[in-house]
Amino acid sequence: MRKYSRFFTLWFGIVIIFVCSEKTFAQDIRLTATVDQNVLTVNDRLELTLTIHGTQDTPPPLFPDIEGFTLMFGPSISAQTRIINGDVSVSKGFTYVLQPVAKGKFTIGPSTVEYKGKVYSSQPVNVEVVDTPRTSGSQSPDLEKLIFVDLSTDKSEAYVYEQVVLSFKFYFQKELPVGDIDYVAPATKNFMEEKLGDQRQYEEIRDGIIYNVLELRTALFPMMSGELVISPATLKCNLIIQQRRDRRNTPSDSLFDDFFGREQKRYPVERVTGSITLKVKSLPEEGKPKEFKGAVGTYNMEVTTKAQQVKVGDPITLSMSVYGEGNIQTINEPVLVMSNENEFKLYSAESSTQITNREELIRGRKVFSKVIEPQATNLKSTPAIVFSFFDPHSGQYKTISKEPIPIAVESGEQEVPIQLTISQDKVATAKQQVQILTEDILPIMVNLSSLRNQGNRIYKNPFIITSLSIPAVLVIASFLLTRHKVRLTSDIGYARKRRARALAKKRLNGAQLALNQNLPREFYAYLSKAMSDYLADKLNISFASATEENVSILLRQRGVGDDIIREVSHGLTDFDHRRFSKDGGSSDEMERSLKFAEELITKLEKQLS
Amino acid sequence: MKLRIFNLLFLVGLFFHCGMHGADCGLPKSEVRNQKYGISRDAAIKLFTDANEKYLQATKFIASKKIQEADQHLKEAAIQYETILAGGFKNGQIYYNLGNTYYRQGELGKAIVNYRRAEQFMPRSADLDANLRLVKGFTEDREFSTEIPPVIRRIFFWFFFLNQNELSIVAVSLYVVLMISLFFSIIRKYAWLRRVMVGFSIALFVVVVSLGSKIYSEQGVNRGVIIATKCEVRYGPGEEYETKFEIHNGAECVIEDEKDDWYRVYVNVGVKQIPDSKEGAEENVRDDVRRGWLQRKYVDVI
Repeated sequence: MRKYSRFFTLWFGIVIIFVCSEKTFAQDIRLTATVDQNVLTVNDRLELTLTIHGTQDTPPPLFPDIEGFTLMFGPSISAQTRIINGDVSVSKGFTYVLQPVAKGKFTIGPSTVEYKGKVYSSQPVNVEVVDTPRTSGSQSPDLEKLIFVDLSTDKSEAYVYEQVVLSFKFYFQKELPVGDIDYVAPATKNFMEEKLGDQRQYEEIRDGIIYNVLELRTALFPMMSGELVISPATLKCNLIIQQRRDRRNTPSDSLFDDFFGREQKRYPVERVTGSITLKVKSLPEEGKPKEFKGAVGTYNMEVTTKAQQVKVGDPITLSMSVYGEGNIQTINEPVLVMSNENEFKLYSAESSTQITNREELIRGRKVFSKVIEPQATNLKSTPAIVFSFFDPHSGQYKTISKEPIPIAVESGEQEVPIQLTISQDKVATAKQQVQILTEDILPIMVNLSSLRNQGNRIYKNPFIITSLSIPAVLVIASFLLTRHKVRLTSDIGYARKRRARALAKKRLNGAQLALNQNLPREFYAYLSKAMSDYLADKLNISFASATEENVSILLRQRGVGDDIIREVSHGLTDFDHRRFSKDGGSSDEMERSLKFAEELITKLEKQLS
Repeated sequence: MKLRIFNLLFLVGLFFHCGMHGADCGLPKSEVRNQKYGISRDAAIKLFTDANEKYLQATKFIASKKIQEADQHLKEAAIQYETILAGGFKNGQIYYNLGNTYYRQGELGKAIVNYRRAEQFMPRSADLDANLRLVKGFTEDREFSTEIPPVIRRIFFWFFFLNQNELSIVAVSLYVVLMISLFFSIIRKYAWLRRVMVGFSIALFVVVVSLGSKIYSEQGVNRGVIIATKCEVRYGPGEEYETKFEIHNGAECVIEDEKDDWYRVYVNVGVKQIPDSKEGAEENVRDDVRRGWLQRKYVDVI
């Protein structure tokens, strides 16, 4: 079963291929007659080629009647199959070599061939035979025949904004190598232009000679009426011609020619077309509809909308698609016909244009998306839509009207639900990069509460600078005070030294009381005690050790002057003596002793501090 | 104990030193000149409000394409802002608004000068930063980037986020807190208090050094902005010297010296060397520090 299946598949494929091939080959059968040159001398030979296009399954065509030529040999037969972009084209050529026998103008008559009962004939070819041999040794070719250009429009009259096809054709004889092509397009002032397709390349027979043709096409839309001129187009190229060397050259040259072929020569060629004058007619005023906004061409229109059931104020998007042949990019949006302007709130339409076909003519589609919002619940349909254009083919204005689309409008007072969450997918698709439209500075500052003088530097304020010293002084004072207190409790010598004067002063006060009460023994006891205790405290020795001798030694060690030491010795001795003496002395003497003691303590205080 | 006293005295001395140094550096010359005038806060607020109103009206005129009216209002607003500043009343908002006004008038150099002055008072203002960047984007000369890297800005954030007065307040606050801590540490022998005190001492040291650096960078270095459309920088202080290169409106420079009506400056912009007199000689553009002399009238000191 599988074997049969494969067999049928194979046959089916072969049949399909043959059917298609037959169909392809059967298309466009024609017979052409071409020559290699149509002006020649009696010494030249003419190659005549009869080609049957579209099939290779034919007998040789009938040889035409030819005056003034004799057949030297032929036909040599060549078959050719071309596949370009999937299109298969076949041909079969029969080439004859003819020798002119007389000068004059001759016509190579039509040849005919019969294929499947139908007779196909070629076009006649005119050939001129001249008797003047070319005198130029280089045999420079007739460039005007080999290469030429042509500029044309598909019509000589048009309406404003009507599409006109401008065609530039570059002809060069088949198999001529042409390079470095530089094309300068014609100036098309007062026209809008749109390129039509890619460049076309094909063959064309002119006067029996086959030319390769490069064709560039442009759609022009005249912007104003009157006689508009399209300036000439220019084409520059290099033509590469292979030429025979002079026969009189040496045999080595011939060998050179045989080995390397013929000599190549580059001819810079410049061809300029003629200018074209196009008569442009203005659009007729007669019959111009009020909805007409300048569209010229052949158009149609479709209108769709998705929303059929809406609430008051909800947007309805009308998609108005205008398509057809013409300058689709410049057409304006269709008109909405409303009986009452307050029925719908209208927003300006957004449009997108697409050129759908550029091959023969500019065809395209322009879609207008217009948002309208119904303003009342009694509305039953969208507005009617009208689009008017001028059809240059019929020379009349045409209007396309689209009927209103039924809609149901509900009241818009329903509560809008609060959207608590958004789907992540929606968030992701909704995100897009923010586009900066303009760059500008940010606005001025107007905060008056912070408008205070900032020019006054804090570190330059004398009050603050002075105030900064206060904490430091307090800290230093507290530090010294604390240290003093600590030493008073921890250092006995320091404490005795610091207290010595106060104690001495206290005892001297006791002496003063004794002096006032005239008690000499008590007075001197106080003085003696005050002096010896003061010195014991200052020198940090026991009270019993504060004798005259010890004190003198220690005071000398402390650097106290000798006169003061003598006074101290004298005082201690004198006070002790008078203390235990019966004669205590007069009051004056006691006062002098008291003053002496006070002065001595003051001096010692300075020396021992 | 002796160590603490040493620390204390050092910090106090350092603060006083920096403070006095800053006082010596002084404010920009234009500001010092105007100290003799005085303007009250109320008067400043009135002028400020009027100027703002004129500016806002000018923006409305600009929107409605009434250029002449807008220009007139902008000029009046600028005069009022300048009057407040000339009266010795300095505020970042006034400089910022004045910068905006000059920008609207198309004077990029003056706008940048005033934004830079405002920056000294409002270092944290995002609006100011955005406007300054925008305006600098319109200047003709390509700036040789001297911006401090963001990492450094984050590490030393207090330096870049606080102005001189704010840094001073922080320093004084730290000083007072440190003194209180010291006082209590003398009276009460708490161990933790000593650690706190060390922390405050370090903080105070850092802030005082920062304040000194800021004062130096803002007032010890004279910076200026070109306010002329084109300024030729010459080899010496005089017209008789050859032109070395040219800079344009809005370019910033550092003033190193001055002589008569000339400043010796160096610039941090891509310098466009004027070609030789031969036609067709290529212009040479370099990204390095270039020195030269230019006329005082072409520069506005920040």
